[in-house]
Amino acid sequence: MGFVKVVKNKAYFKRYQVKLRRRREGKTDYQARKRLTVQDKNKYNTPKYRLIVRFSKKDITAQIAYSKIEGDVVVAAAYAHELPRYGVKVGLTNYAAAYATGLLLARRHLKAIKLDGTYKGLEQCNGEFYNVEQEGDAAPFKAVLDIGLSRTTTGAKIFAVMKGVADGGIEIPHSETRFFGYDSESKSYNAEAHRDRIFGKHVSEYMTSLKEEDEDAFKRHFSKFIAAGVTAENLEEMYKKAHTAIRANPEAVKKEKKVEKKRWTAKKLTYAERKSRVSTKKAYLLHLKAQMEAQ
Amino acid sequence: MVNSKGIRRGTRYMFARDFRKHGVEHLSTYYRVYSRGDIVDIKGNGAFQKGMPHKVYHGRTGRVFNVTKHAVGVIVNKRVRTRVIPKRINVRLEHIKPSTCRIDFLNRVKANDRVKHAAKESGERVPQSLLKRQPKAPALAHLVKTKNNKPELLAPLRFEIIA
Repeated sequence: MGFVKVVKNKAYFKRYQVKLRRRREGKTDYQARKRLTVQDKNKYNTPKYRLIVRFSKKDITAQIAYSKIEGDVVVAAAYAHELPRYGVKVGLTNYAAAYATGLLLARRHLKAIKLDGTYKGLEQCNGEFYNVEQEGDAAPFKAVLDIGLSRTTTGAKIFAVMKGVADGGIEIPHSETRFFGYDSESKSYNAEAHRDRIFGKHVSEYMTSLKEEDEDAFKRHFSKFIAAGVTAENLEEMYKKAHTAIRANPEAVKKEKKVEKKRWTAKKLTYAERKSRVSTKKAYLLHLKAQMEAQ
Repeated sequence: MVNSKGIRRGTRYMFARDFRKHGVEHLSTYYRVYSRGDIVDIKGNGAFQKGMPHKVYHGRTGRVFNVTKHAVGVIVNKRVRTRVIPKRINVRLEHIKPSTCRIDFLNRVKANDRVKHAAKESGERVPQSLLKRQPKAPALAHLVKTKNNKPELLAPLRFEIIA
């Protein structure tokens, strides 16, 4: 291994052009964002709303926002960590919770814009393909789904959120091709299977089978469920109650936050402080010098 | 020898992207709203080949007369030999930015309106000189400190004949 030229030298850094910040952070796909947020110019200031769905390890974020030059404006938001208020205390990132979060967002937003009476959406969830139709004078609220960087796979939880929002009464252009229960080979959609998944039937079936097989593994895996008193039998009931509770009162609860002003950088010293700092340092060094000479 | 007539002839540098400004275009270019009558600057952006203005309009300023989905129609004055023709060109948004030539005037109009409104309410007369722009007046008498600013005496060199 002889002498290798340093690639990242001064010249390299002088010419290096960084990508856009959110691309550097790996959070935004600008090609998708341009097509989702930019409005036709002959529609002037009409906002283009998008339904933002993001999953974290322990939470689901669903927001409705539109873009401005100063930054995006969020008009409504719903999180999976709000579901305990409606009776869903465990399993906050599963398919059923995703649907419930979407439903919560839709009902909340429609109530805020006073369309919750006209657009009730699908009251009884049956997994069928449902798209809001115009009723009365006001057109339905329209938003476009923004997945972010998630992969579009059939049966993904992102589409559960979208289904929840669509069933809640917001118009979202979509087709049933990516829902759970769609068979791409036969091009048929099994609404029953989708409905079962929305009510967590897959979870309850796993609970029963694991309990029979291995009691210890069941206790370990579903410890939080057992602690909350959720069994395979009352799981579906829990989600049904949650849906009705959401439709009854979708309002957000504002938490009182104590704002403590925190400093991130050191405070600038005053002139007097700087002068005294110099004199104390000088005195100290002279003292050390005197000590050295004394030895 | 006659020059070739390609529409992008001689635009190697004109349509080139700026140093370290290549790549994805920032979205505020697309978020801006243009209405008829707005004054816009035209600057060709080599990264977007569609709807590019001809090199002759690069650096020109014009008025918007039409707005479509992704482009605007701009009226630009072009000198053709002895006369100036108002030309109508269709340019995509990436090559357009709002002109700042008008903002000084529009801000002054707003400020004047506020002054006039306040004067109307209070009943005072507003002197017209306050509303007009004043040219830069000669500097008033002021004291100049010479602490770290010692005056330097300048004098011409004595004339000498150098062979």
